[in-house]
Amino acid sequence: MNRREVLLLLAGTAALPDQLFAIGRAVHKRVRAGTLRALDPHQNETVATIAELIIPKTDTPGAREAGVPAFIDVMLADWGDEEQRRTFTAGLANVDERSRGLFGKDFIACSPIQQTQILTDLDAELARLRDTKADMSKNFFQGMKWLTLTGYYTSEIGATSELHYRVVRGLADSLRRHRALV
Amino acid sequence: MDWPIRYADIAPWYDYVETFVGISGQAEGLAQLPDGKFLKPMALNCVEQSVREAVGRAWPGERMVTIGRCAVLTEPHNGRAACHYCGPCHRGCITRSYFSSVNATLPAAQATGRLTLRPYSVVHSITYDKRRGRATGVRVIDGQTKHALEFQARIVFLCASTIESARILLNSGNGFANSSGQVGKNLMDHIMGGGASGRMDGPADRDTIGNRPNGIYVPRFRNIGKGKSSFLRGYGFQGGGGRSDWGRGVGETGFGADFKKSLRRPGPWGFSLYGFGEMLPKEENFVEIDKNKVDAWGIPVARISCAYGENEKALVHDMSISAAEMLAEAGAHEIQPYTSDNPPGLVIHEMGTARMGKDPKTSVLNAHNQCHDVPNLFVTDGACMASTACQNPSITYMALTARAAAYAVDAMKRHEL
Repeated sequence: MNRREVLLLLAGTAALPDQLFAIGRAVHKRVRAGTLRALDPHQNETVATIAELIIPKTDTPGAREAGVPAFIDVMLADWGDEEQRRTFTAGLANVDERSRGLFGKDFIACSPIQQTQILTDLDAELARLRDTKADMSKNFFQGMKWLTLTGYYTSEIGATSELHYRVVRGLADSLRRHRALV
Repeated sequence: MDWPIRYADIAPWYDYVETFVGISGQAEGLAQLPDGKFLKPMALNCVEQSVREAVGRAWPGERMVTIGRCAVLTEPHNGRAACHYCGPCHRGCITRSYFSSVNATLPAAQATGRLTLRPYSVVHSITYDKRRGRATGVRVIDGQTKHALEFQARIVFLCASTIESARILLNSGNGFANSSGQVGKNLMDHIMGGGASGRMDGPADRDTIGNRPNGIYVPRFRNIGKGKSSFLRGYGFQGGGGRSDWGRGVGETGFGADFKKSLRRPGPWGFSLYGFGEMLPKEENFVEIDKNKVDAWGIPVARISCAYGENEKALVHDMSISAAEMLAEAGAHEIQPYTSDNPPGLVIHEMGTARMGKDPKTSVLNAHNQCHDVPNLFVTDGACMASTACQNPSITYMALTARAAAYAVDAMKRHEL
């Protein structure tokens, strides 16, 4: 991240840094092209289920429809390093351990209420880490939330139907003024 | 080591380049940040305005917050349109509002009919006639064919950027332009990373419109006038205010339909300050040639030795304190001071490897950016800087370049060069 991007982030000014949006768009392009590479089908379905619970279908599409699971697979395969992939897949395995311990089944076989309970536990543990200002960079749920939100809000569906994102705000106005020059 | 010039020598040349470039900014009448030829300033948003007022009340005549002075047009200028705040500047500015060589200087040079631009030309070294004591041109390696070519010139302006200009000079042959031994030495950058951020009480029903390519600026207030700090020199702040977007959700507890709905609206207002400080020159920070390593074009590479010192670290520490003070005065909540450990080079304001000075024994260039040893060679990029100050340096390089070019033309007319 260069200085200008750091400044945009820290200034908390409007939208996400251009660089993050650009990366998100680039990853979504690759998603349209391929098949699973970092995750196996069971892991992928677990990811999709968690993502849809984080950003569900409401009056606008949810994470599944916006292509978030495939986005996460490409991010892990192309942007993550070996350690990040290991942390993530270990986190997924841990989600199944918890569901088997609590409900005797894999996460994807549980009911939505049971799945929500597991995520609530994960979210609460993350909140405690955050309060103690501990290092959250290796926490599975922190990574999962970041991937889900980034994948969702940089997708065409997320950006347009949920956020009504305008690339150039006030464009109609400016074009009127600049018609002579542009 | 002192500069061979003063502000008065370069002031008319700042005016000259600013008139060409188009700088938007607010005149504030400060000695440490002189006003220039400004187009209309960009607007502070409501939170930034309240911080400006609070800082002005708490530190009258000492600290202040102003809109950034930036090379983005707020009015039509020389055939370029005013900015329409679309945002992704680094993808190219279709309205040519953002100053760049592509948008402004290259078209102007082309319009003279006297520009020859040769791309894929990797400069290897300056060629030199030892008997006459003059540069004769440049040796170039073609970037595509890797053939060596030589171009002849009566005058050479070396503006390859600080590290590269030093490298080209050092690769030009034994002691070329270097009777002082100073070429490559006293490499500097700014230091950044100290500051603070916090949440602000701002209007819930308002948000910023457009993507303003500019932030606020807090001019240097340390070691100015009365009051002495434990460190030398000082720093300024960039920063700004705004509302957080969906990204804040990553750091919040919650998930599901209500969580998603809450991210539809802009988040709380915030304000932050990020400092940029002066780096002192030291001979143990330098660029040299690595004789055992060449690049893809067979040219020996530069090796850099550079580290921040105790004064720079003291500046960063003070940045975090003074920034937190200003945020507290402005009524910010949950103020987070920060310092960071960035390596030199990351601020991308590198300077100093061929410094200007009065004495040819301790400097490479004279008061006109002319090499003491080689009168038809001028260096006007960051390499020429004798010290860094804390302000962004590019406009200074441009002013020095215009001034040196005018001097060179005058010298040519007098048959001196």
